[in-house]
Amino acid sequence: MKKLLLGTAALALGLGLAGMADAKGYKIGISNTVQGNGWREEMICAMKAQALASGEVESLNIAHRNTDAAGQLEDIRNLIQAGVNAIVVNPANADGINAAIKEATDAGIVVVAVDQAVTEPSAYILSNNQEEYAYLGAKWLFNQLGGKGAVVYMRGAAGAGADNDRDKGFKRAMAEFPGITIAQEVFTGWQQDQGKQQINDIIAAGVPFQGVWTSGIDNVIVDAFVESGAPLVPIVGADNAGFVGQLSSVKGLKGAAVTNPGSVGGAGVELAIQILDGKKPAEKTVLVDPELWDNVSDEGKAKLAAAANPKLSPEWPVSVSIPGWTTYTMDQIIACKGPGE
Amino acid sequence: MRRLIETNGWTIGLGLLLALLLLATRLIQPDFGTSGLDSLARAALPFALATVGMAVVVIAGGIDLSVAAMMAVASVTGAVLMDGASDGQAVLAVIAVLALGLAMGALNGALIVLTRVTDIVVTLAMLFVWQGVALLVLNAPGGGAAPWLRALVAGGITLPGVPAGLTGWLPRGVVFLTAVTALIWLPVARSKLGLMIYAIGSDASAAFRSGVPVGRTRIAAYAIGGLFAALGGLSVTMGTGIGEPIPGPYLLASVAAVVLGGVVLGGGRGGLLGPILAVFVLRTVRMDLTLLSVDPNVAAIVEGTIMVAVVMFGAVLATRGRGA
Repeated sequence: MKKLLLGTAALALGLGLAGMADAKGYKIGISNTVQGNGWREEMICAMKAQALASGEVESLNIAHRNTDAAGQLEDIRNLIQAGVNAIVVNPANADGINAAIKEATDAGIVVVAVDQAVTEPSAYILSNNQEEYAYLGAKWLFNQLGGKGAVVYMRGAAGAGADNDRDKGFKRAMAEFPGITIAQEVFTGWQQDQGKQQINDIIAAGVPFQGVWTSGIDNVIVDAFVESGAPLVPIVGADNAGFVGQLSSVKGLKGAAVTNPGSVGGAGVELAIQILDGKKPAEKTVLVDPELWDNVSDEGKAKLAAAANPKLSPEWPVSVSIPGWTTYTMDQIIACKGPGE
Repeated sequence: MRRLIETNGWTIGLGLLLALLLLATRLIQPDFGTSGLDSLARAALPFALATVGMAVVVIAGGIDLSVAAMMAVASVTGAVLMDGASDGQAVLAVIAVLALGLAMGALNGALIVLTRVTDIVVTLAMLFVWQGVALLVLNAPGGGAAPWLRALVAGGITLPGVPAGLTGWLPRGVVFLTAVTALIWLPVARSKLGLMIYAIGSDASAAFRSGVPVGRTRIAAYAIGGLFAALGGLSVTMGTGIGEPIPGPYLLASVAAVVLGGVVLGGGRGGLLGPILAVFVLRTVRMDLTLLSVDPNVAAIVEGTIMVAVVMFGAVLATRGRGA
């Protein structure tokens, strides 16, 4: 009888605690304007996984579609109408959605911008350092070429904020190496098929070049060299699973992967939860600095080997978590399930 | 009265559908009110203006695939001209952008008339041209917008001497949309030009035999379409405060709303109120899907399905009506 009582008491306590956890359950809104891109899909999965792993999020309200800043204004305003506690947003650009962010923070909603910054001062920012991303990779490439030669410069989408920041970093590295010239400059639009077509055209045209810098459309570039039988040149890409695999498997390929974690989305959700819990960060802007892993130095090789993961989709960045921020497991992010799914 | 209902049945039906959807929104989100209406109006504004521009061209028997790209050109041009400009200069900038819109549309129309190449091919080519122009004007999002211009579409209407409770619910965005559409379209629709636009859309050779200058009318219709596209681009800049060189998702959305709004693809029939109501219906559906937290990948399917269902339902009604 005593046991039963104790058991009941424990059960009641457990239920009570569960009830309390429910009462705390936050409702978090997410807004993203690029759909069907590996990096962004990983970001969304990281957001879902972190919301689930935190145990503090009752539901996610996800506005995830291909649209412009005006469409993102609509999505953020809809999320405000939905009564969320926080909004984590990957902004279409730095200035265009300020009006809706201000409306959200005025309504007491915590807003965290991930991946790219916004200029609205009431928002928190957790972003990858895009200028540094381009600078690190370009500098490595120019050093590989001994400071002399022509490179193919394969950018992202014309007019995109992140592409603009990366261009600044690339130009900064160019300024340090006066012997480097640009053989061809193209916009891949961050589209695999487009990038592959462009590099095929460049190879076929016989333009002389000694290296390739890509803004994350990387594995198809290596494929193009291998398929056409053209001599391999040093290639810089992002830490996408496919490219990271190629860096260790393709014979004669010299290259470097620069990290650009899509899991920054999960870190953004965690930051939003911490702020809702009353733990505000000292600074409103948190920058995640990239790392460079090359397959030339021993240190780089070790990092590449540790990061390679055959379970990931080839377009996903291999840096699926950010130490100190994300707490989900590898299986959770691959499952891509949020609370209540 | 009966004739009014018969000829405008589709538009009235869309109005009822919109009312039902707003009611449903209220059920989903009991707090939905003035601010919700306001955000709906602001979201609908660029879509509505693009749709009106497209509708005019479609009524004239054409189609303009470059509408979103022209909006981008107008948006970046306006944002560049208004960046750091005084209020007076901003007025001039707005006039310049509207003139640019007319010119872009007229050029599209003139190319179709002069080269005799199909409208789809010409405007598809111009889509790329205007995209490039937009990037030349501004290679990354930037520029600015005059505060008075942005205030035109933000918040509810306040009239001096009238209590705010009476008019505050009516979003400025809706008033702005109604005002510019009426200001441009009503004089056209009531003039000979309006009649000629419907005539060439209905049957170009019959119109030609009746003495309608088909080529010039077609160019005029495309120019009006360009003017509305410029207004749409300006409305994007009014909402965001900047210019964006990459065109937004307005092309397909405007064609969809034109069809849903009861304008016949092929031309000659339909009005502008139907397509505008259709835009609001589509935006409200999008809002409800976000409020209901529907999986985003499913949401697009739901939007498309609703569109097809409504158009098919309308077709069934129309056939029945004819049979009776």
